[in-house]
Amino acid sequence: MTTIPQSLTLEEIDLNDDGLFERGLGPEMFKILRREDPVSWTPATEELVGHWNFVRYEDVLTVSRHPEVFGSEKGIVQFYPAKEEMLTAAEAGNGKMLITMDPPRHVKLRRLVNKGFTPRAVAAMEPHIREITNTLLDTIAKKGGSDFVIDVASQIPLAVICGMMGLEQKDWPLMFQLTNKVLGSGDPEYQTDLPEDQRGTQEAANLTGNMGTMQMFGFFAQTLQDRRVNRRDDLISLLCESALDGEALSDEDILWFCFLLILAGNETTRNAMSGGLLAFFDNPSERERLREHPEYIDSAVEEVVRYVSPVMHMARVALSDYVVGGQAITKGERVVMWYPSVNRDESVFPDGEVFNITRSPNEHLAFGIGEHFCLGAGFARLELKILFEEMFRRFPDIQMDGPVERLRSSFIGGIKHLPVKFTPEA
Amino acid sequence: MKVQVNHDKCEGHGKCQMAAPEVFELRDDDLSYVRVDDVSEEFAPRVERAIRLCPRQAISWVQGS
Repeated sequence: MTTIPQSLTLEEIDLNDDGLFERGLGPEMFKILRREDPVSWTPATEELVGHWNFVRYEDVLTVSRHPEVFGSEKGIVQFYPAKEEMLTAAEAGNGKMLITMDPPRHVKLRRLVNKGFTPRAVAAMEPHIREITNTLLDTIAKKGGSDFVIDVASQIPLAVICGMMGLEQKDWPLMFQLTNKVLGSGDPEYQTDLPEDQRGTQEAANLTGNMGTMQMFGFFAQTLQDRRVNRRDDLISLLCESALDGEALSDEDILWFCFLLILAGNETTRNAMSGGLLAFFDNPSERERLREHPEYIDSAVEEVVRYVSPVMHMARVALSDYVVGGQAITKGERVVMWYPSVNRDESVFPDGEVFNITRSPNEHLAFGIGEHFCLGAGFARLELKILFEEMFRRFPDIQMDGPVERLRSSFIGGIKHLPVKFTPEA
Repeated sequence: MKVQVNHDKCEGHGKCQMAAPEVFELRDDDLSYVRVDDVSEEFAPRVERAIRLCPRQAISWVQGS
């Protein structure tokens, strides 16, 4: 097993403590909360505002279906500074990206790009993604071993989103590095701008996230300048030519869009891949079933996404008073929707803790639902499907070859390292 | 009863067509269209399911229909 079974009590649960998630205790915390405290309040501290936690399926559905009540423009992560002067660089993007934008502007901005993400557009990319995947598998095939996260899981989504944005291959490693700084800012491994003895604090996290955000902006500002002059067939060029309510998008609008695309496009699917492979390692009978029945692949992918739930939460702020799950929420209060929990809610998923590749129905909320439904869901599903098809075909005896290292984060259910071994290809 | 698809929101996921093929049709423009003027009682539960499954919440009953 990859998680050490431990017994937690309700009092020991602190959803602000990302160290508990790093230790793999997320599922146990949520199970206790669903049973004993389904709408809990995390109190404010000197640094952070407090927030409600929704861990039941029905409650998260209610919040998701009312974007006019539960707004995204005050940020979508649980942490929000108690004082305005403590806002981080990424929080400057609140209200400016699809993910932090409310209706009606949200749907208009989304329509500028969503034709590139429809099931038809995604399906057309299948041969290309299969080629990317096999080229990457070629690089490890003869070695018989690899850090699956570094060599494969991070590289496939990165190649796909960078390709769509027209970024040159020489810049992809930088995108990987900066994504880790922004989304993994709380993890000492990515706090590389600081000497080792100063890592692991909240200040180190803020500084790392700020550095990553600024470097990302510096990079995309240059790219944008180029696309304004040299049009290409890519998303950045498309945004340059787009108008919203009769007005061209500003440089700032486009830069925030790039920031969102690159982060959302590469971190989430990476973790679904690693978490999914881990689920197959932990459940050899399910892996055997997939080998015998390759036609189960689509429902297997859906189950991987449910079981892993790589985006752990989204936060909203109440724009008016509203009752959710019997709890009165007051205008201005922060609420957090916990996806790994709702996707194992006993009232919706029988044996939700079990990884079952033929689960049906499987109406999980790992991609969200409604206004902010994951734009890239189709790409995520296709990338996962191709990966598991090609990898299990080429490396049928792939197995774990060392301990898994998880990301210290309560936002991204991340895996940093997953050593694997297999019989090398001749 | 009448049902409608909001084309500002629809992104062609096709869940509605799977839930109620008698009522919804995904066309070449990647948008879902309502095929019938009026939804018979027989198909109403399937439309309810389509409303619930739509990832974008693009489907709704026409009020007062």
